[in-house]
Amino acid sequence: MNPPIVVAQNLVKRYGPRLAVRGVSFTIDAGEVVGLLGPNGSGKSSIFRILTGYLTPTLGSVSVAGHDAVTRSLALRREVGYVPEDAPLYDHMRVAELLRFMARIKGLSGAAARRAVESAAARLGLARVMTMPIAKLSRGFRQRVAIAQALLNEPKLLVLDEPTSGLDPSQVNAFRDLIRSLAGRQTVLIASHVLPEIAQVASRVMILLDGTLLTTDALRHGGDRRRLRLEVDGSEAELRACLAAVAGVRAVSARAGAGDPPGGYIVEADERPFLARDIAAALAERRLALSELTPLPPDLEHIFLELTRRRGEAAA
Amino acid sequence: MRSFAVLLHKEVMALFSSPIAYVVVTVFLLIMGYSFTLTLFISHTPSLVPLFFQMFVLFLLTVPIITMRLVAEERKLRTIEMLLTAPVSEAQIVLAKFAASFGLLVLMLLLSAAYPIVLALYGDPDWGPIYSGYLGLVLLGGALVGCGLLASTLVSNQIIAALLSLSLFLLLWIIDDFGYLLPDPLDTLVVNLSLSGHFKPFATGSLYLSDAAFYVSATLLTLFLSARALAQR
Repeated sequence: MNPPIVVAQNLVKRYGPRLAVRGVSFTIDAGEVVGLLGPNGSGKSSIFRILTGYLTPTLGSVSVAGHDAVTRSLALRREVGYVPEDAPLYDHMRVAELLRFMARIKGLSGAAARRAVESAAARLGLARVMTMPIAKLSRGFRQRVAIAQALLNEPKLLVLDEPTSGLDPSQVNAFRDLIRSLAGRQTVLIASHVLPEIAQVASRVMILLDGTLLTTDALRHGGDRRRLRLEVDGSEAELRACLAAVAGVRAVSARAGAGDPPGGYIVEADERPFLARDIAAALAERRLALSELTPLPPDLEHIFLELTRRRGEAAA
Repeated sequence: MRSFAVLLHKEVMALFSSPIAYVVVTVFLLIMGYSFTLTLFISHTPSLVPLFFQMFVLFLLTVPIITMRLVAEERKLRTIEMLLTAPVSEAQIVLAKFAASFGLLVLMLLLSAAYPIVLALYGDPDWGPIYSGYLGLVLLGGALVGCGLLASTLVSNQIIAALLSLSLFLLLWIIDDFGYLLPDPLDTLVVNLSLSGHFKPFATGSLYLSDAAFYVSATLLTLFLSARALAQR
């Protein structure tokens, strides 16, 4: 089994009296796309800056591809591609100029640098803006240029801090496609405070709150609960009364989103064998016609709120 | 070394992508051209000594403008994150920024070489003070750029960086005037920090190793402190 690409142990970062990161530990395996979810100010950017060698941890250690962030910072930085939040770029440069500059300081030269720039530009669809000054680029293109420079030297770890902030929906979709295309061959760590964005691209989600890691795998954390989508010919009251008798059912709610058909419900229940069969049997017993019963993926928003609630209760 | 060359190229392009470099060079040459002509017509002697003292003052006033943006701007725009997460050392970044700004001062001095050439064409100047004066200006320029770079590294506001280095330069310019008022041995220590005190011998054609060592030490110390300041994150 290959060793993890990222190993962080008891990371602590203090800015004066403020503790931004409190004893965070996690590992990331090669090829994983991991999301780091947390509200603004929860310590995501501090962790990312430590991982990329920009900040040194107050306590603890972190290594990327076997290189320690403090003692072998330069070697670590060769293995990491970083897209900081808001894509800070040199506005006085043209796109091609910036990509060439970044390729060269990442150790590429001559034909290798040219190939890397061409390849990154093609992957990010930058061909038509290569000669434009960066100051004149739209927000979406700035973000693409920032991602392109991070990919130039094919880093072992790609770190993206709030990569879709300010992008329009079509740009967000294009970004998701890009991340999906990287999955498996590149290790990606993405920070965001937008739950659906993380849920759609990450294979594992870590949740951070006030500098503390609440879970290193929120999707698995949701494994003790199941969510099912039902299409039933009956009222919400009838369905609630019917499912109250089914062991493990916790909540029933009507789907009232735009475009949702009438008779659609979400059932939340404890994970157990034969749950779907028992629900179907209970509905049949009450003569409520069931036209659809579909298991849903774990609801990241629910897990996030649940974890933060539990932490609040523990703190109280 | 290759990374340094790439960083230096980037710094030179950044320097000349803003109007600051052009304005500084133009103003420097206009003032010095006017002074050179005036001095020559008044004194009728083929000497650049008065000009060297004017260049000294102009360096004190213009170096903060050249150096203020070096790191402060990168901090403000957060492009420093791009640089410091790339596989380049803080020392390489500091040296590249220093070399670009110092290079601009050297360019200004090279352009001012027109004055000794004119003197040589129409008179018989004493070349000793001219060589030593230019050497003094080069060494002074290095120390000033180092100080300005350090100021820019310490703050993220360009104006504050410029004011910080300008205040320091002005203090070190006049420090010997009130240094003599201090008790022994503080007076010797303070007077020896004087920028003008160490420049006068160069401008008048006297070379002392202590004066050169003062400027070289100041340059190396400020570069070291700038790299340390950049590494403190």
